[in-house]
Amino acid sequence: MSIRTYLLSLRRNLFRREEVEQDLDAELRVYLDQLTDEKIAAGMSEAAARREARIEIGGVEQVKEEVREAKAGRLVGELWQDLRYGMRTLWRNRRFAVAALLALGLGIGATTSMFSVAYGILLRPLPYPDAGRVAVVGLRYYPRDNAFGTLCIRDFLTWRENNHSFEEPSLFQSMRMDVGGGEGAPEQVQGASVTAGFFNTLGVRPLIGRGFGPEEDAPATGSLVVIGEGIWRRRFSANAQVLGQSILVNGAPATVIGVMPAGFEFPRRETEVWTNLVLNPPTRYGPWFYRGVARLKPGVTFEQAQAETNNIGQRMMELNALYKRLSLPVLSLRDAMLGTTIKPAILVLAGAVGFVLLIAVVNVANLMLARAAVREREMALRLGLGAGRRRLVRQLLTESVLLALIGGALGLVLAWSGVEVIRAWNPGNLPFIESVRLDGGALCFTILVSTLTGILFGLAPALASARSDLNAVLKDGGRGASAGRARGGMRAALVISEVAISLMLLVGAGLLFRSFVKLNRADGGFSAPPRQVLTMLISPGNRKYGDAKAGAAFYEEVLRRVRGLPGVEMAAVTDSLPPDRQGDADTFVLEGQPLGPGELNPIVSAVTVGPDYFRALGIPVLRGRSFTRHDNPGSPPVAIVSEAFVQRFMANQDPIGKRLQQSGPGFGDNWMQIVGVVGNVKYLGLRVDADPAYYVPFLQSYGPRIFLVVRSSGDAETLSDAVRKEILSIDPGVTLAFISTMEQSLRQSMSQPRFDTLLLALFAGIALLLASVGIYGLIAYAVTQRTHEIGVRMALGASRADILRSIFRQGLTLAAGGIAAGLAGAFALTRLLQTMLFGVAPTDRLTFAVAPLTLLAVVLLASLLPALRATRVSPVAALRYE
Amino acid sequence: MPPTNLLQGTLDLLILKSLALAELHGLGIAHRIAQITNGTFQVKPGSLFPALHRMEEAGWLASEWGDSENNRRAKYYRLTAAGRRQFQTETRQWETIALAISSALQAS
Repeated sequence: MSIRTYLLSLRRNLFRREEVEQDLDAELRVYLDQLTDEKIAAGMSEAAARREARIEIGGVEQVKEEVREAKAGRLVGELWQDLRYGMRTLWRNRRFAVAALLALGLGIGATTSMFSVAYGILLRPLPYPDAGRVAVVGLRYYPRDNAFGTLCIRDFLTWRENNHSFEEPSLFQSMRMDVGGGEGAPEQVQGASVTAGFFNTLGVRPLIGRGFGPEEDAPATGSLVVIGEGIWRRRFSANAQVLGQSILVNGAPATVIGVMPAGFEFPRRETEVWTNLVLNPPTRYGPWFYRGVARLKPGVTFEQAQAETNNIGQRMMELNALYKRLSLPVLSLRDAMLGTTIKPAILVLAGAVGFVLLIAVVNVANLMLARAAVREREMALRLGLGAGRRRLVRQLLTESVLLALIGGALGLVLAWSGVEVIRAWNPGNLPFIESVRLDGGALCFTILVSTLTGILFGLAPALASARSDLNAVLKDGGRGASAGRARGGMRAALVISEVAISLMLLVGAGLLFRSFVKLNRADGGFSAPPRQVLTMLISPGNRKYGDAKAGAAFYEEVLRRVRGLPGVEMAAVTDSLPPDRQGDADTFVLEGQPLGPGELNPIVSAVTVGPDYFRALGIPVLRGRSFTRHDNPGSPPVAIVSEAFVQRFMANQDPIGKRLQQSGPGFGDNWMQIVGVVGNVKYLGLRVDADPAYYVPFLQSYGPRIFLVVRSSGDAETLSDAVRKEILSIDPGVTLAFISTMEQSLRQSMSQPRFDTLLLALFAGIALLLASVGIYGLIAYAVTQRTHEIGVRMALGASRADILRSIFRQGLTLAAGGIAAGLAGAFALTRLLQTMLFGVAPTDRLTFAVAPLTLLAVVLLASLLPALRATRVSPVAALRYE
Repeated sequence: MPPTNLLQGTLDLLILKSLALAELHGLGIAHRIAQITNGTFQVKPGSLFPALHRMEEAGWLASEWGDSENNRRAKYYRLTAAGRRQFQTETRQWETIALAISSALQAS
């Protein structure tokens, strides 16, 4: 058949269907008439002739159907027919459709958006070639054992000499940098000091210019700098002439040799300037400010590299008696950039959203089962009237797919806005958040899962029951058949699992919420109202302030002028700030403290503060005195210790008058006399218990870059402009960063817990909603099924209360089963939340009591409507219903 | 002899043959086939009409409504040029097959 005639027929069949149908109908009618005529002519009576003719034809409708099947565009035509029928069915069963679409949309939307986030943060390849083969290496030993480890130059050299697993390793250190030159005032940016192989290791080519050459970390190399695309556009108008120019980095000239593209965000997201780290031969161990980065040699695995690095660690311990319990974690680039808190949180949230998908799927299955029961009769009837089984399957499939497509579209919209919301909520510490976008794979997966479920649970029972025994089904009226009872059991099991899963999510959300509330009330150790504290990091940006004398004079002036501003009550300097800006941390030696040979005290916060710091923040001075302006280089060295410090290291002693020594490298024989004890302050985040701390006076431990703390009488935020102007009027070369009130800092520090809590609560809410729809559906269906029974009971004298009780009992049975299973699941799973909790046990009794009650209330509410409907059943109507 | 089931594809050939001399309506075609096969093949409407519509869509047949012998309006089918060519092709094919089968059956 030629394409043309086919298309012509197709067009006719599809678009002039009425005409084609009428034509066919007329043709067959004529055939019947002609046949009848013949039989009359042969001597039959008219009635007999007509009957015989009909029998001979064998069913006009069947013949029509067979002709239609033979026609071009049959599939397309039927699809269209099925779609229209499906739409009509959905419209007629609006309540069913809304419930199913809600489940599908919410399930697909929530799952896809969360999976997109998880993929973007945990899995999407980093923008560095073959980034999976780049490792970050640090060194952990007691007492310096922060999670990922750090290195000092000497360790690095040992590692480099003994390394065979990696290509040329390089060393880097993150630090704040003042950048001057080009347009505008000097500014403070995030920078990094890196050795020669750094850019090669990461495999990113500069936009223009070059990275550091092989020998450019050797001693006596000049100061070189590679700048980021952002700062290049901002300060140098994206001019290529910048190459070879000298700019100011931390007040010293450095020659620009290259510009890195905007996507290059290592070691930190916000890093904008890289200077060459000069490897001067170290004379001793420390400071441990650095970390190593290296690319695996071809064919070497992470495990092999870790094994070799462990051996190098052994060697390091032999070389240095101070290293105890030393390990050298070899981390993937992603793990190193993610930090310790994000990955578990994302995994927990992704797991939670997996539960939401499960509930959505269960709900769809449930609704489909309910529909299958209702349609059993329809299917049997249509089969009885001559519909082909394949045709019916196709039609049910069309309906399921139609439902899934609409649900999927809804889910797509929700997922898209979900991703936008999550990006907007970004707690600020989520790296790679900008690479998070709607993930097509996740979307397809969730749509597929939901559709398959719908098909499986809708199609199979409808057809199976229709196949089993048409007569039974038709007679039975779809009520009380054994297939129906089995299905009822299955639906109950589905609802019970929905309740159980919702309960687990609810418990998880409850725990996070309780923990969040506690965290919100957590005591940072200071009593100043957070709204009345303004803080900022000052960096003088000029090398002359590197000198303690000039610097002290500068800060003296800053404090004098700021204190003079209207609204300012107090001002002070510090190198650390609550809740999470620890400046320095070091070990120490207490005079007369018995320590074994080679033994060290743990590392604790070592805070440098000026006079008025404790008063400005409202940190109580419990014993002795605070620092004054007389604690200067000319007076005896003094220190103040925290309450926790006394409890842990000086229990049963009077700390006042005792002597303390900072024992990190470079502190020499500098005994400081303890003159006071202050309250505990949190410098490592609100969720961490305040670590012991010792304080030293600013003038005796000068550093040019320091935080200014301003205590105001009113809203501190309104002061920030005035304070900034005042400082810049002293020296316009000064740079200021991290300008924020204490209130903002606290909020920022709460952002990740807030994010986790909100998302988990949202997921639990969706789960609860879906579960209540499921329960409502089941009970409502049961009430419809039992109308007759209820009628009989009421006719026999049952009161409304009896009926109500019987319906509620059904809801409660389901809830009880689900709650029991859910509590068991929650006990098993909430342990995974441990690291995310603050001040709340994973088996918190209150949460484990309130969550089931909430769920119970929801179940009762969901049963209420159908139960009330049952009490309104009129016995007469119910009996006639039969 | 009871009516034989039509071989797949044979129906098309018989319809083409029955229309080779004159145009006919559905019942006419059924009668004509019964006549030329000496009553061996009794075509039921359930097979006839799907075949007619399929062949019409294939372009082998054309149809139009006309008056029947006893003044009823009926749909008449006739062969198109393509239908005649198809008739010749299928006849040749049939002859080849028939020859092959009968020689196969006579082989000793």
